Amino acid sequence: MSAAAKQRQLPNKEAGLFKELLTQYELKQYKKGIKAADTILKKFPNHGETLALKALTLHASLPFPITVGALPKQEEAEQMARTAVKKDITSHITWHVLGIIAKTKKDWDEASRAFAMARKQDNDNIPLIRDSISLYLHTRQYSSAVAGRHHYLTLRPQIRSSWLGLMIAHHLNGDIEEALEVYDGLMGCIKTDGASGPEKAQTALHVVRMCIEAGEYKDGLERLERFLRNDVLSARGEATQLKAEMLAKVGRLQEAEDTYRALLEQNSDNLEYYRGFLRTRGLDITETLEAEAVAKTLHALDLFAESYPRSAAPRRLTLDIAQGEAFRDRARTYLINGLERGVPSLFVDVKGVYQDATKMAVVGEIMEELVAELEKNASLHNDATIAPPTTLLWAYYYLALHLSHPSHPNPSPDRSLKLLGIALEHTPTLPELYMAKAMVLKRAGDPYGAAVAMEEARSLDLQDRFLNGKAAKYWLRAGDVKKAEDLVSLFTKKDTSAVSDLTDLQCLWFLTEEGDSYRRNGNLAMALKRYQALVNVFQDYEDDQYDFHTYCMRRMTFSAYMALMRYEDQLRSHPGYFRAAIAAIEIYLKIHDDPTLTEESISPEEEAERKKAAKKAQKAEQKARKAAHASGGDSGKKEDQPVPDEDPTGSKLLKTETPLEDALKLFAPLEHLASERVETWTIAYEIDIRRGRYLGALKCLSEAYAVDAEDPKLHGQILNFRRKLASATDLPEPVKAAIEAVFPSILPTETSPEEFNASFLSRHSTSPRHILGAAQGLLEIKRAIDPVPSDTLAEVIAILNQITTDNVPPAVPIMLEAVDFLRSAGAAPEQVDTFRKRCTDRAPLAWVLATEDEQKRRKTQGMDMDDEGGANGNGNGNVKADV
Amino acid sequence: MDIRQATIDDLLGMQNANLLNLPENYTFKYYLYHALTWPELSYVAVDPRGRIVGYILAKMEEEPSEEPCGHVTSISVLRPYRRLGLANKLMKQSQEAMVAHYNAHHITLHVRKSNRAAISLYRDTLGFEVHAMEKSYYADGEDAYGMRYIFTGSKAINDVERIKTS
Repeated sequence: MSAAAKQRQLPNKEAGLFKELLTQYELKQYKKGIKAADTILKKFPNHGETLALKALTLHASLPFPITVGALPKQEEAEQMARTAVKKDITSHITWHVLGIIAKTKKDWDEASRAFAMARKQDNDNIPLIRDSISLYLHTRQYSSAVAGRHHYLTLRPQIRSSWLGLMIAHHLNGDIEEALEVYDGLMGCIKTDGASGPEKAQTALHVVRMCIEAGEYKDGLERLERFLRNDVLSARGEATQLKAEMLAKVGRLQEAEDTYRALLEQNSDNLEYYRGFLRTRGLDITETLEAEAVAKTLHALDLFAESYPRSAAPRRLTLDIAQGEAFRDRARTYLINGLERGVPSLFVDVKGVYQDATKMAVVGEIMEELVAELEKNASLHNDATIAPPTTLLWAYYYLALHLSHPSHPNPSPDRSLKLLGIALEHTPTLPELYMAKAMVLKRAGDPYGAAVAMEEARSLDLQDRFLNGKAAKYWLRAGDVKKAEDLVSLFTKKDTSAVSDLTDLQCLWFLTEEGDSYRRNGNLAMALKRYQALVNVFQDYEDDQYDFHTYCMRRMTFSAYMALMRYEDQLRSHPGYFRAAIAAIEIYLKIHDDPTLTEESISPEEEAERKKAAKKAQKAEQKARKAAHASGGDSGKKEDQPVPDEDPTGSKLLKTETPLEDALKLFAPLEHLASERVETWTIAYEIDIRRGRYLGALKCLSEAYAVDAEDPKLHGQILNFRRKLASATDLPEPVKAAIEAVFPSILPTETSPEEFNASFLSRHSTSPRHILGAAQGLLEIKRAIDPVPSDTLAEVIAILNQITTDNVPPAVPIMLEAVDFLRSAGAAPEQVDTFRKRCTDRAPLAWVLATEDEQKRRKTQGMDMDDEGGANGNGNGNVKADV
Repeated sequence: MDIRQATIDDLLGMQNANLLNLPENYTFKYYLYHALTWPELSYVAVDPRGRIVGYILAKMEEEPSEEPCGHVTSISVLRPYRRLGLANKLMKQSQEAMVAHYNAHHITLHVRKSNRAAISLYRDTLGFEVHAMEKSYYADGEDAYGMRYIFTGSKAINDVERIKTS
């Protein structure tokens, strides 16, 4: 017996207590267990395994979520587990306990290491192996997972899931051939498969999928056909779809075509089935088709439209395919059909074709014709029929949305509002009309007016959560956080605040929109708080997969499990994460540039507001406590309360001393998961240039350049880099050399920066974003000159003014950005004001461009929304004149 | 709108649609539980930009019972996409999958007593019947109707009949 083992051995009495301790832990008799442990420890204070079990028992006895009172005990248990390992470093128990505690803390890396150490001490311990395999899978250590599975199989060869677990480990490890061999090995050695029907089906489907992934279509097809023949797989859905795909791959096109027909019989609204069917005829509708191919495709889809009159899919697809007059005819029929049926979604359905500007224009023309015909009471069918009045109503609705669509080259919100006004006179109780009005006003740059309109829509159907959420969102856009929270709380749990309920429910849209709202209002602390809450939700999404590493092996849902693993690997490419991360990074950059932002300077009104909010939160908490008390839960004592939010106002987040590091943490997943987006690289440039990492910054420029060389933000950054480079005198030689080798491919040396900027502007003279980019570029060029020329601002403004010219679409968000840019460039208040006026002349409804005072005055004086098409209906083109 | 079987990638979109439409919401893990236990049963309606505008989240009853029984956990369509018959289509697809893959004998769902629009859809369009009333089923105290639809063409019934006639 080794020295360690000797030390571990307890006398009979204590050994008995130790066994009891184990049982009591398993029976959840934690108090008794701790007592037993203490008795042993009294005599043998250095007995590591007892200490470990005490830590485990103590940890398991703690309430969840952790309360104020239990917090010290949690720390004690964690510390005790670490001490136990130190006291007995060769025990599998001490390491196992450390691993379990790390696992409940979701510290997967530490847990994975502890379990690996535990296994070193006790190699054949089944529960240990199982847990450590899960942790290897969770932390993507696939080759270790394969080794673990191998070992498990040798210990439990008679269990089917030991084999299938190994199969999946091989698959994850990228070795499909090995995975299939394991499966075939299993099938070869069992006589009867004891799995249930659905279990067999899940396994079979996954085997076929592996064949496809390995490119073994013939093998896959043979297996699949056998599974179908033996009734292991149902022909409904996936199995048949895989069959069709493989038939097409191996060139059995007629059979593939028939199989797609069979699929369409099952579901004639599945677009992939149509695409697959057409592919078997050499028609790939995801690419641009030749005229002859277009005719063939339309013909095939027309036949399907006849066979499946209740499916919109084939008819809608023809709108994507048809061109010219054929498109016009089909679009007209499609639109009339939708208007007559009164389908509110007609616009959102058809606007898919707006990516094609010509088609968008044609749809606009058709709608104008239809409205004119309907207003004259003319027939839409060249006969004596007269359309019901609702048809005209929906036509107004459609046209109003069409005229204010962001890709409309010359939007006319005035006309949209007029059309909706007529429609509302006719039917004042249809929420959709108010929703449309809200949308038009929002796009025109009037978030407050939009919120008022959305509020009217909501008031027409108070039971509808969709309208409730939309109204809340519009209030957030208008900067009224309180109103929005009051609204959403109508549909959230009553015993907690709306924000905490929506956070628990992982309501991404709300967290983002409220963060944005706080940010626009200048409350960067709360903005960061909401964005970080969203980031935490994504961490939960990632952690959620843990239980499924074992669950899916038991349920044998292997394909779904593989999909889960792949999904989690790219989880943070989700637009929700992307948007919040970028917004938060922008705030961190701002804090870095101006650390005074972290010093709170709040007005007395804000102070009062905050006190009120704190009181309200306290009340809500008390209420929740009472409710819990009433339902027989916790007592009302403070220490039985869950640990409160330690940063309720976000001020700790804001007061960070490491804003750039915080930004980098949020950025890290984007580098790989969103590398195809130009914003990923333009934001990374801003981080790197502030860290003085010139090579890193240049790499960002190159990456951005590869994605979109004409991106306006990138354009400004190229010239910014040029300026920064000129002032960086202490760069090491190799860095300098590397930059000189690469930078000219982005900013050519043979043209002057002025020419570079001017040519950028002339290439994009009608795009507001690019005009702003050119203005920013010019400022960089001028600032690189010492001293900065006196005409700088005048020239910058001259470029910015182009944003407001008639041949440039009025883009209110860009105008807003331009105003901010001008201010930060050091323009005098009068200069900013003059530019603002130019913008509001071009976009008369854009209240968002008005000064704070103007906006306040308008709200307090009330606003008659039915006044001649909104805020500036008198048509003098000046926002302020109206107030 | 494209109507297809839901995948793991669709779950966050389904969660989003559910939060926009309905007062009963679930965390992501509950969606995972559905998709990783009965991958064939949940369906989504997707708009041309890839946004999920309608979904049905469905399962089989786990409690052992005489006949396999499907259950709709949640179904909804975003307001701007209503009147296209999407709910109907989603329900049909899920029902057929329940029969084909799990030999379901019938399907059940719960609906708020006050939700007349939904009750009429289930009863008049989809052929469900009210078979139970559950007092204070919802968190806010409202009662639920338990509704049920028996699959007449299901294999389960055919089997029973075969046994009876033989």
